[in-house]
Amino acid sequence: MENRLNEAQRIIKEMEKETELSKVEELIKDNKISFEHDKKQYRVRLLNLSEKEELDTLRRKKFGQLLKDKDILLEKDLIEDYKQRGIDIADLDEQLKKLNAQDIDFQLKLGEAIAKNEGDTIFNNYREQIESVRNQKKEINAQKTLLLQFSLENALLNYVAQVITYLSLDVCENNNWKRMFSNLEEFQTYHDEQLINKAGQYSMYLQYL
Amino acid sequence: MNTYEKLRCLAKSNKAQNLFLAVKELNGLTLFRNSNDLSKLQELYLSYLYLYDAINHDIVIDKISDKIFDYELYEDAYILWKNKGRKQVKKEDKNKQKELHLVVGNTINFPKRG
Repeated sequence: MENRLNEAQRIIKEMEKETELSKVEELIKDNKISFEHDKKQYRVRLLNLSEKEELDTLRRKKFGQLLKDKDILLEKDLIEDYKQRGIDIADLDEQLKKLNAQDIDFQLKLGEAIAKNEGDTIFNNYREQIESVRNQKKEINAQKTLLLQFSLENALLNYVAQVITYLSLDVCENNNWKRMFSNLEEFQTYHDEQLINKAGQYSMYLQYL
Repeated sequence: MNTYEKLRCLAKSNKAQNLFLAVKELNGLTLFRNSNDLSKLQELYLSYLYLYDAINHDIVIDKISDKIFDYELYEDAYILWKNKGRKQVKKEDKNKQKELHLVVGNTINFPKRG
């Protein structure tokens, strides 16, 4: 009886996995991603040339505005300020550099061990060492990200992501696709946050990694 | 599993690998609806297809065992090591070519054999 239950659970897990994988297949079959939201059809696509130019214009304007804002610091100035408070980000970078080198080194040794079929004990040993190095890297990266999240460069990146979503989101009306928002302000003040977040995530899949 | 992990899983699947093989060998069969302007996700998927194609090939010719599939780390480590080896061979070939000296004049330096 227990065997049949286990088998049934295994089959259900397999079917769930298949369903998840077919959802991912939908994301890669084309260079656009269509989705339904509140009974309406939307899609996110890659930017065309004129949209890329529009993005560039908006990005430059935003960069100019951010530079004039004395409350937002460039990353290098933020790093300098932190140093004066005893937080050395250059030191974090050095640590990351060493850990990256260790990661690559262990991976190469593991790769060679696999090629020579040296056995599970050796594989597990390298795997544990690599995982330990990666956990240390994760911690330092998280620390660095937190410290630099309010930099000008980060603010600009977030703005660019918004603009890309605004430019690449289309809505289907009467079997025709048209751009959802006619201007950035309309996008930024739109009431449906869920739609914006979904579109933002999909546009990330298309444009970034 | 996040989307990128599922993408990797998909590329690893028999179905995806068989389709990839067919696309490489048959004209007219394509992986995607678009033939250019790949999205970043499509580019990543393609790189995973090539990765698993290379690994499957080495398993079939008995170079490595399928224990490599126990962990994705094993897969990445093996390909990293293999690619480094390839770069090393290319570097050595380039250096060997530089050793060839054919100077027109009184002396001609022939490359040493053996």
